[in-house]
Amino acid sequence: METTDTSILGFCSAPLRDRQNQRRVTIWSVIWGVSYIIVTIAIQKGWLSSAAAIAAVIGTSLFGVATLLAYHRFLRETDELRRKIEVDALALAFGIGLVGGLTFFLLFENSLVSGRSFGLVFVAMILAHTSSVVIGRRRYS
Amino acid sequence: VKNRLKVLRAERDWTQADLADRLEVSRQTVNAIEKGKYDPSLPLAFRISRLFEMPIEEIFDPEERTYPIQAEARTQDLGHEH
Repeated sequence: METTDTSILGFCSAPLRDRQNQRRVTIWSVIWGVSYIIVTIAIQKGWLSSAAAIAAVIGTSLFGVATLLAYHRFLRETDELRRKIEVDALALAFGIGLVGGLTFFLLFENSLVSGRSFGLVFVAMILAHTSSVVIGRRRYS
Repeated sequence: VKNRLKVLRAERDWTQADLADRLEVSRQTVNAIEKGKYDPSLPLAFRISRLFEMPIEEIFDPEERTYPIQAEARTQDLGHEH
């Protein structure tokens, strides 16, 4: 009997290699995200000296690099349809980041938004990527 | 590109998951190729060809056919150009 893939991301049918690589990406993402939050709070609360704060920021960035490397490996080794879906999603996220970033820059330069709002561009990029992956996997299932 | 993947798979009594394992791709990829939603890359097409021990053109069929009369007309056009 043929198995029907009913998961939203269509990942149940992925080869073991892809599942392992995806797990690595998820683990590094969580570590990066948690460390980012901890470092942000620690700096805001003044728990760290300047040197320690710089070291903590660098450490967090290294977790980010590890996440990127894990994602790069996932993209390189995943099967071709998944790669196509991911690359399409990356292209959309990049476009939104570019347009959103330049729009934000224009607004910021003219004092129409505060610098803190820049995080919205990243949120838009992440949402665009995630929704594009979900739609892509649905389209080809 | 149309293909006979589903028929060839059924002849061997393989599930999509079986074929996906043999081709080292996801079941979703096999499903998308069978439904004509996705055209495989050349390396994957060759793997499919080797697996079924058939030439690629017996498995995949480009929908845009060049019929003999069109080919002849094209040859004549080229002749006039020279």
